[in-house]
Amino acid sequence: MKKLSIIFRNTSILALVLFCSGFQQLVAQDSSAVKEVKTKPVLKPVKSTFESNWVLDNQTVMVAKKGTFEMDIQHRFGTVNNGYSDFFGLYAPSNIRIGFSYVIKNQLQLGAGFTKERIQWDATVKYAIIKQKVSGGSPVSVTFFGNTVIDTRKASNFVTFTDRISYFSELMIARKINTKFSVQVAPSISYFNNIPGYVDINGEIQPTMENAHIAIAAMGKYSLTPNMALVANYDQPLTQHVTNNPHPNISVGLEMTTSNHTFQVFAGNANSILPQNNNMYNQNDFTKGQFIIGFNITRLWNF
Amino acid sequence: MKSRIIRISLLFAVTATAISLSAFIPSQGKPWVVPEKFVKMASPVKSDAASVKEGKELWAKNCQSCHGKAGLGDGSKAAQLKTEPGDFSTDLVQKQPNGALFFKISEGRSDMPSFKKKLESEEDIWNLINYIRTLKK
Repeated sequence: MKKLSIIFRNTSILALVLFCSGFQQLVAQDSSAVKEVKTKPVLKPVKSTFESNWVLDNQTVMVAKKGTFEMDIQHRFGTVNNGYSDFFGLYAPSNIRIGFSYVIKNQLQLGAGFTKERIQWDATVKYAIIKQKVSGGSPVSVTFFGNTVIDTRKASNFVTFTDRISYFSELMIARKINTKFSVQVAPSISYFNNIPGYVDINGEIQPTMENAHIAIAAMGKYSLTPNMALVANYDQPLTQHVTNNPHPNISVGLEMTTSNHTFQVFAGNANSILPQNNNMYNQNDFTKGQFIIGFNITRLWNF
Repeated sequence: MKSRIIRISLLFAVTATAISLSAFIPSQGKPWVVPEKFVKMASPVKSDAASVKEGKELWAKNCQSCHGKAGLGDGSKAAQLKTEPGDFSTDLVQKQPNGALFFKISEGRSDMPSFKKKLESEEDIWNLINYIRTLKK
């Protein structure tokens, strides 16, 4: 627990430093530019830091325009390690999520979805706290994302109802560097009510993992054309568990955008789709070539 | 009598064929009436390099698939449309005032989607129009 609180403290400090480094510029500009506010036009937010709510395995700072309804289809195949025998994982057991979200007011998005793995249902909330401005104002966009997930398998898998539930929260900080290149970092915390354990020599139940897991993600997008971009994502676990420590996740792919759709096809390690499961339980080791092929499709409607 | 029946039958067959085939020929569309308010509307966005660049990106993402890369009406989806997307390089579009183009992009009609809820702001539509003006031959 002491280790956990040290890790949590250090990660919180890191996130706070990243946030404040942008905030200081905002405050400095505001305090010195008070006299100019009346004559300057309204500060415009940058557009299209990212083209989708998703870059591969993670959320982005993007919250679409009010009234936007989104449908997500996410698919992760098996690992490529069996080669042609299961056609590099394409014919192996897979994981799927179908999700929906709606922007109920500017900057606030609510969503829900269901995932094949452990028959999980999720409810999500996303709030764009700050948007990067074209000139002046905030140099970064900051968005909060959180979910609650329930495992709906048979009751025999659980002792109490609350064992089914897990939570995920992250603070995403992104910057559109130029018209082609955007980056984002996101510290996160996952929390599982129920965790793996074992019975020790004294007959007492001991946990093999911590309930809370802290991680940090970094991602980037590089536009090749207005419709196509290279995207990459990296998840680094920070919490040390007694055993079964998760592996980092690297994913790299291609994103294609149209007016109403975004398609992402990629190779990565984590196959759980739900972020807390990816962060806590990814056992695919990229150093051993344990990659999977995956794709995300999002479709937008505007009401 | 017999020849008269043959002539009438032939006329009927030709007419029926023509009507059937017309279903597969895209039409130019009925005249698109623009409200007076939009006809007189001036663009609040200067047509500078930044605006045209923004418009070009919006065109590539939202318009190109039907209207084509150069606005010639030869996009990959054009063949599926009931109404021909038209050649934006000609006077057909270029002689229309900015406000009229603003109205049509905002409201849409038939195959042409409405973009007023899709695009982030009205400024995006004006940027698009500034780019459309560069398609003129």
